[in-house]
Amino acid sequence: MQQSEFTVEDAYQYNQRGVFRWLWSHISRYRLLVIASVLFPVLDLGLYAMVPVFTGRAVDTVITGEGSLWRATLLVWAAMVGSGLSFWSTSLATETIAQHLAVDTREELYRSLLGKSQIFHDRQRVGDIMARATEDVFQLNLFVSPGLRFVTDTILGIVVPLLYIGLISPSLLLVPVIFVFTYIISVRRYASRLLPVIRNQRNQYGKMNSVLEESISGIEVVKASTQEWFERIRFGRNARWFRDLFVRQGQIEARYLPLLLFGIALGFTFLHSLWLWQQGVIGLAEIVAVMGLMNILKFPTFISIFSITLLQGGIAGAERILHIITADTDIDQNIEGHQAKIEGKLTFKDVTFHFGDGKPVLQSIDFTIEPGQTVAIVGQTGSGKSTLTQLVNRTYDVTEGSILVDGVDVRDWNIASLRSQIANIEQDIFLFSRSIRENIAFGMPDATTEMIEQAAQDAQAHNFISSFGEGYDTEIGDRGVMLSGGQRQRIALARAFLANPRILILDDSTSAIDSATEDEIQKAIGRIQEGRTTLLITHRLSQIRWADLIVVLDSGKVVGIGTHEDLLRTSPHYRRIFARYEIELPPLEELTPA
Amino acid sequence: MGFIMDGLDAEEYDRQYSDGELVKRIWHYFKPRRKLMLIVAFAIMADSLASTAIPITISWGVDEVERSGAGANLALPTLVLIGVGSIAWVFNLIRRWYSSRAIGDVVLSLREDAFNAVMDRDLSFYDRFPSGKIVSRVTSDTQAFTQVVDLTMNLLSQVLLIMLLIGYLFFVNVTLTLITLALAPLIIIVSLAFRNIARKTVTQSRRVAAEVNKHIQETISGIRVAKTFRQENAVYDEFSDVNHQSYKINLVTGYTFSSIFPILNLMAGFGTVALVYYGGLRAQAGTISAGEWFLFIQGIGLFWFPLTSIASFWSQFQLGLAAGERIFALLDAEPNVVQHDNVKPATIKGDITFENMTFAYKEGETVLDDFSLHIPAGQTMALVGHTGSGKSSITKLVARFYEFQSGKLLIDGQDIRSFHLEAYRKHIGFVTQTPFLFDGTVVDNIRYGKQEASTEEVFTVAQQVGGGDWIRTLPRGLHTEVGERGGNLSMGQRQLVALARVLLQNPSIFVLDEATASIDPLTETLIQEGLDVVMQNRTSIIIAHRLSTIRNADRIIVLDHGKIIEEGTHNQLLERGGHYADLYNTYFRHQSLDYIEQAGQLLA
Repeated sequence: MQQSEFTVEDAYQYNQRGVFRWLWSHISRYRLLVIASVLFPVLDLGLYAMVPVFTGRAVDTVITGEGSLWRATLLVWAAMVGSGLSFWSTSLATETIAQHLAVDTREELYRSLLGKSQIFHDRQRVGDIMARATEDVFQLNLFVSPGLRFVTDTILGIVVPLLYIGLISPSLLLVPVIFVFTYIISVRRYASRLLPVIRNQRNQYGKMNSVLEESISGIEVVKASTQEWFERIRFGRNARWFRDLFVRQGQIEARYLPLLLFGIALGFTFLHSLWLWQQGVIGLAEIVAVMGLMNILKFPTFISIFSITLLQGGIAGAERILHIITADTDIDQNIEGHQAKIEGKLTFKDVTFHFGDGKPVLQSIDFTIEPGQTVAIVGQTGSGKSTLTQLVNRTYDVTEGSILVDGVDVRDWNIASLRSQIANIEQDIFLFSRSIRENIAFGMPDATTEMIEQAAQDAQAHNFISSFGEGYDTEIGDRGVMLSGGQRQRIALARAFLANPRILILDDSTSAIDSATEDEIQKAIGRIQEGRTTLLITHRLSQIRWADLIVVLDSGKVVGIGTHEDLLRTSPHYRRIFARYEIELPPLEELTPA
Repeated sequence: MGFIMDGLDAEEYDRQYSDGELVKRIWHYFKPRRKLMLIVAFAIMADSLASTAIPITISWGVDEVERSGAGANLALPTLVLIGVGSIAWVFNLIRRWYSSRAIGDVVLSLREDAFNAVMDRDLSFYDRFPSGKIVSRVTSDTQAFTQVVDLTMNLLSQVLLIMLLIGYLFFVNVTLTLITLALAPLIIIVSLAFRNIARKTVTQSRRVAAEVNKHIQETISGIRVAKTFRQENAVYDEFSDVNHQSYKINLVTGYTFSSIFPILNLMAGFGTVALVYYGGLRAQAGTISAGEWFLFIQGIGLFWFPLTSIASFWSQFQLGLAAGERIFALLDAEPNVVQHDNVKPATIKGDITFENMTFAYKEGETVLDDFSLHIPAGQTMALVGHTGSGKSSITKLVARFYEFQSGKLLIDGQDIRSFHLEAYRKHIGFVTQTPFLFDGTVVDNIRYGKQEASTEEVFTVAQQVGGGDWIRTLPRGLHTEVGERGGNLSMGQRQLVALARVLLQNPSIFVLDEATASIDPLTETLIQEGLDVVMQNRTSIIIAHRLSTIRNADRIIVLDHGKIIEEGTHNQLLERGGHYADLYNTYFRHQSLDYIEQAGQLLA
């Protein structure tokens, strides 16, 4: 069972070991439709192959003058209508499977994305994920309809004519059988040449989409730096690579050999049947029938160009989707884990952390926070402050050591229980393109209007929200661009007020608040800290100054810990913060390192 | 079916093109490749003709052998048949070889045009339309357009083929041909009826695809929030809704398209049967020979295929046309920012004048009203005021990101609308509120505003910002990969990179929008020194949140609801004891040490 941070209870379990098993476990969910999409083509082709036979009989009727032309024609008609209706039914059945497959795989992909750890998401590019969830899923769609359908058509299109030819004269099977063998060999070689190109094409599409997505998300910088030309070149280059792979695919398709083999086989079948006719083994009507049947064989030969491209597109797309679904994620939701109301005691025990094989971001961090305390974490940019807080709610997992919440290792907590009691207001505030109300109620979808407004009041956000025409129902633009930084942060604060967590992490979050409500916000932050453990990363000296404990980080190590007064006396790093204020600092005491 | 379509309305800039207009637009893309496309069309036709020649060769071969009796030469008809088959193969090769080039090229240039159009839109466009949906148009809809190119070439060849076949059928028998042709209008009517349904369902499909795209982009970008608030279920349910909507719409579309061909085929079946019967009667009566009749039946089968193909193509065509319509709407979306002239200033001094300007992002929500301000070249001007007072708007207008409604904005005395936009912006350095980094190394990002800069230049500039101390904390120094959106770096580091980027660009006008706000205290002093370097000898507009910045400004403008309510230097304004003093007390004072000492009582 794969690790995941998120699962859906009654979700259908698919076989994820290998692309084909996975695809089959998806498709086989719709057993009746699968059976229909195999049986109808049999019926279709069986009847379709009867058309030349019945037409031949009609010819006989006219030539010999025996039998009823009316009946012979009726048979031709019945065969045609029956085959047409079967064809239609096949189309509808496969189309239904294809659409099911698309929606199911996308759902499965999305579910797995929600279950992946932050480390995973840091590595993935959004534009590429988008490509996988739309265009690659579309490839699966084509894989089934018409891809798989062409496969049944191909198999039947080979077997049925051979069967009928065998019925007419077994010895006439000689050439067609040789042809089918060479066809299989050359199709396999063709397919193995094509697959790498198609794989590259799918990957290139993902890259092109990522480049585009990035250019659009960063449009303000692009425009301000007048780098539209650079983005154009970058996108153009990626679009051209995609085009080149497409052309390459076309060139491989052009040299598709089986069609030539078919032409040769047709000639030799004709030779053979003429010779048999000379020998008096078969009659003229048989030659017409055999050559008509051979013509049916042309369809599978020809359609393989399409079907192989479609199948391989589907396989390449499935590989890309499955790759994401089965990618290892290191954090599990740990359903059996510890569940309890958090008191708020937080212990860092010799914590070391690094991303991948990079150099350690945090080294041997060791300190304890008592319930209800406010701890300010200070340090130069890049010293590991944000990472430190992200270890608490298991956005990332420690590399060495452990973090204990109320004495229990965070890795032993049920992740839902842990995270629902920890609120994290990040520096990069993300708002959804929805109404302000929905953004505030994000942590608590069933909150009442009163609760939402109260939270907004507490966060000093109520006034500016009310000043908008539509108040709480005001839609926030894409990524919330229509709000200023200060407004965004207050909405995030309101979100945290509503969620009412036991542990609060404020990561630089209120730093850009620029309004005259600074005092009120200070009060609000003071209030939100009440009764909960708070980890504070802030540039606000006033808050650092009055924190219960200050942790000074430098290059991932704790270089000072204590209260403001302690640190002013003991920590050169901490003193540097205050150095620019023209005040007298107490003399620096030489301490033996603890 | 209405409920399925919920939320799938057209975007504001979507428009409906008449078929004539669409054809004209598409022709523009086909024209440079018309030779390729004609070659392909001829190859398809030649391929089909060669295939047509096969039954003729067979019947000729049978006749020949029958005539010569037992001693007939069997090799000749065999060789002819193989020859015909090989020719068909060669034409198929030509067709595929060139068609992939034609398709690839058309889609590429359409895609590039779509991307260019997106780059040309001003920021108000991005405020209004979710970027996930824009992405969808540029890559996904252009991909769907592939079909139009492919079908056009096929259609062309089928039309040629059908004309040849009609000629042949007339040659064989006039009456039977007329009977066949009588059925054609029926097929055309059915396919035209399908066309309308197809266009409608396909447009919905394209829209729902964009919706899915948008949803994924947004939730994946914000997945951290979903996780910290344990709201995966809510996000998942929402996605499920969109996903199922997409299923329903695509099923309708899929059914529509997979029904066209079978229905047309059934109709063609009736035609064939009628001819078999009628022709048979005539043959029995001796009006036509049995051979003629047989040839006709064989020929008719060949005739139906192109005819039903043309008919079903017309519907399939809608798939690409719907996508094309969405792309063209994007290309034609009217930009709000319009330049009247193309003056490319070699240098700019940086004298900025706002004259009676009115500006609103959205109609009815005026941000600046009758606003006038003069910033002399070289001045460092700080903007202060409450959130929403119009500070950001002023900087964005100087960068010409938005169009204003009335009044004037003069740069060095010239109307900002008279400049060539890119040439003008080259002189502006902009550090945004939330610094955006591109996937790549720190060096790549610093170089972003001046691609031709050498690595040494980049290093020098990086050293100038914050004394270069911050580089030491990066895992691989300036060659550290920043990750998508700069995710591998801390916010402070991202801001330092953004500052270095502007410093390298060396602009005449420097705009700093709240950028230093979340840099930690230890780095701030270093940043301040870096800023002093940047602000020297250029006009600087700072939306300041740092006491140190505001103290150093030549001039402070206090804004309130889009109006200047006070201006002067820090000391002048403080002495005056007006709005600025109020603002200072609540807003900047907390950065002074006195305040920090008092704050304890506030928090307690």
